[in-house]
Amino acid sequence: MQNDLLLDVGLDRHGSVSRRRFLQLGSAALAGSGLLGSMSLHAAELKKQNRACILVWLSGGPSQMETWDPKPGTTNGGQTKAIRTAASGVQIAEYWPKLARQMRDVAVIRTMTNKEGAHARATYHLHTGRRPTGVLKFPNFGSVVASQLGDPEADIPNFVSIGNTISSGFLGVQTAPFVVRRAGQLPDNAALAIPQSRLRERLTMLAQQDDDFAHAGATELATEHQALYKQASKMMLSPQLKAFQLAGESAAMKTAYGPSPFGQGLLVARRLVEAGVPFIEVRRGGWDNHRNLYKALPKNAGMVDQGLAQLIADLKQRGRLDRTLIVCVGEFGRTPKLNKRGGRDHWPKNFGLLMAGAGVRGGKVIGKTADDGMTVVDRPLVVEDMFQTMCRAMKIDPTTQMVTPIGRPLKIVDGGQVISGIFA
Amino acid sequence: MVRVARLLLVLFLAGVIVGEQTIVPSPVYARKRKRRKKKKPSKPKLPPIKTPAQKLKLLRSIGASMPTRKVAGRIRFTSETLDKGLQVQIGLSASHFARLIGDAAFARRVYLDLNGRPPTQGELDRFVRNADQGKRKKLIDTLLDGDEFSRKWGRFWQTIIFYNSDANKNRVNRKALEDWLAKKFKANAGWDQITAELISATGKEKDNGPDNFNLANGNKPEKLAAETARVFLGISIQCAECHDHPFDRWKRRQFHELAAFFARGKYYMKGKKDPTQKTLIKARFLLGETPPAYLNADYRRVAVAAYLIYNPKNYWFARAYVNRIWSELLGDGFYSVDSLGPDSEVVHKIVVNRLAAVFRYRNFDTKWLFRTIMNSNTYQRDIRTIDSQTDLFTAVRPSRLRSDQVAASVRQSLGAKFADKAIAITFKTNPSIPQRDLEGSIQQALLMMNSRVINAGIRSGPLKKQLVRIRDNRKLVAAAFRQTLARRPTEQEAVRYTSYLRRHSKNRAAAIEDILWVLLNSTEFITKR
Repeated sequence: MQNDLLLDVGLDRHGSVSRRRFLQLGSAALAGSGLLGSMSLHAAELKKQNRACILVWLSGGPSQMETWDPKPGTTNGGQTKAIRTAASGVQIAEYWPKLARQMRDVAVIRTMTNKEGAHARATYHLHTGRRPTGVLKFPNFGSVVASQLGDPEADIPNFVSIGNTISSGFLGVQTAPFVVRRAGQLPDNAALAIPQSRLRERLTMLAQQDDDFAHAGATELATEHQALYKQASKMMLSPQLKAFQLAGESAAMKTAYGPSPFGQGLLVARRLVEAGVPFIEVRRGGWDNHRNLYKALPKNAGMVDQGLAQLIADLKQRGRLDRTLIVCVGEFGRTPKLNKRGGRDHWPKNFGLLMAGAGVRGGKVIGKTADDGMTVVDRPLVVEDMFQTMCRAMKIDPTTQMVTPIGRPLKIVDGGQVISGIFA
Repeated sequence: MVRVARLLLVLFLAGVIVGEQTIVPSPVYARKRKRRKKKKPSKPKLPPIKTPAQKLKLLRSIGASMPTRKVAGRIRFTSETLDKGLQVQIGLSASHFARLIGDAAFARRVYLDLNGRPPTQGELDRFVRNADQGKRKKLIDTLLDGDEFSRKWGRFWQTIIFYNSDANKNRVNRKALEDWLAKKFKANAGWDQITAELISATGKEKDNGPDNFNLANGNKPEKLAAETARVFLGISIQCAECHDHPFDRWKRRQFHELAAFFARGKYYMKGKKDPTQKTLIKARFLLGETPPAYLNADYRRVAVAAYLIYNPKNYWFARAYVNRIWSELLGDGFYSVDSLGPDSEVVHKIVVNRLAAVFRYRNFDTKWLFRTIMNSNTYQRDIRTIDSQTDLFTAVRPSRLRSDQVAASVRQSLGAKFADKAIAITFKTNPSIPQRDLEGSIQQALLMMNSRVINAGIRSGPLKKQLVRIRDNRKLVAAAFRQTLARRPTEQEAVRYTSYLRRHSKNRAAAIEDILWVLLNSTEFITKR
């Protein structure tokens, strides 16, 4: 029987007990601040630059051959034709004519490779940069951006998601995705139900009530509660809240993005970027085309084509594109060989994504797949490379340590390299 | 029975003393031996373990053979013993300890802890008016025997088991697990029995409650090892899946040896540097016990349950449960509930070790544990913000209510039952994070402030209708407090709100709504005090 080593004192486990208190800056005024104490001068500078990232998430796994890596005239390529784009030498699938006109600002990556072929696992991997393992929940990259670049005193949250997404994991509530259910609507419960004056009266009484409770023995809870309510009411009363709605946008602008919720979502994303939100996720589903691909896909593509092209053009016209990173990707690709039901199944072995803005050199293709689309011929990339590149674009140091509740330090991105040649 | 006992002896001492029996050749057969092939030692015939009842029977027999049983009858451990022990450990004078709470506060606390909801006005009044000296003890006993208790705690453990699950919704049945747990708690099944059934279930049938522990972890050996250690031993070993634990004593090999118990067939550990290289790993429990090699997957599961529960050297199992319940009731644990590091981290170790030991001697009787803790002075003390370790357990830490408790509070105060789902989503918390590390979210604040349903409940619910009819302002304020916060207003509060009512006498209804809104949005409303 093994000797009883239970009293062997190992290394000091600093940070594991009350890690949040250890890292929290303590006073109620800063209760809204992120958990990472990286408020260095450099970080303050970054916040001023107002870099932002919009993740356009194509949920379901869009087919690479029907998006950015068409194989016209081959059996695998099916009936999809290729079209020329504004970038010479770059061709994409025929369903994306508007995007084709913006191609000079967009980099096409054709050779992302992965091993996760299940929706939930792959979605988690593509959102966090880590494969789902064990019990630790890694934060959505949006939460990382919110904690690194977000202003903790901002009126509106630093990570907004239109539709549900992967959570902030161990980074906690301060950088959790603020979910808006429908583009153009205010977030749930953000609207004032009563006149401002009445709200202020109520809040004054509430502060007194909580003050009493603090004296009755719940100081920490009551103080934190008050700080939270202050943050919430700041948001409710903030003019920035209008960024979530579309009043003030011309009818032409709204039409340009497309009438679909997705298109309007991208318009809201642009407004939120202008309001100072550093990370916004907008999603469009319907890409899981196991059957009747050619029936379902073109219409879906049309929606994203219109919205995405307009977003890029709009940001460029407003002079915001050089500080806004746009990433358009799904959790995996689809089988090069069409299946018996006229569709394609899951295929993580090689799939594509688009990147634009924030210094990304547009008008080029990175990576090459074989003619039959089954293998990567040149420059296979991994998910970590994508995140290294995103960090570089956002000017975030990927080696920054995040600390989990049990005191384990983890880098923002573990491994991978910035995709060479992608930046100007 | 003798046969079973002999088999068990073989089974569980196998890892320690001898292996299987060998055949000793006799001189009589010496000549024949040359022609006859040497017989392999026969596998001992194992008792069947097809049904949960059979599995439990085997486990019980194992438990019966452990030495600790004999001590059981002699131990006398009460709430007073607990209080005295803690007082000695804390080492501070009596003035440092918070005073005991009054009856109304006690009722609210106990109903929230045991039933997951505040007491109704009727229940509160009856308790406060009752002159019986032993009423607190009786209230605890009554609630422990009720369905609400077993339902609430079934839900609690189901949440813990599923918290880290990424299993497909269609492959699990959370309700089946919750129902099964509720049934077990109602029947006061021992925690050892519940754990044994959860671990040794085959994980094939999602509508069978206990199978869901496996299914929540996708029947994956590595995840089952990590979760078994986390949920039932209170230790966090998932780091060791890939490398030797940096802070703790767990080596990578030990993690995989534990995972081997949960594999259906052979189990391989991938190479650290080269994942294609695989090493065959034999099952070995964290304290060194190894099951005989001829046990198949199902028996190995029973074996790991036995090592987990009955090995007297494994004090983690009993202590993890004790610490978890203590943590939930007192707001602070003796250590982190599911990530214990080196044992030196445990505060007031003597007390929790002793409580855990007695819990074992009492056959893991969970209701006994609740009774012992809740009848103690330690549990019944007033709230106070605990700032440092020295103050631990001199008072009770005010705790954030769990989402089901918040939903019940809103429902009971206003009669607004449609906010349940929104509250469940917005107020969801990780039950394994210590209270002192929990934070509120902005969505919670927005919900309580602006939710249409909650505000409708404030405007036109039964409480408002009742209050509008009360002419006397003081009586009105008292009624509002009783219904929402289960207590009488202080003099200061009474003055504050009655003068508010007087100032807004022209629109009394709106003023009443304002007061209700304030009480519902107060910190106190979502706190267990």
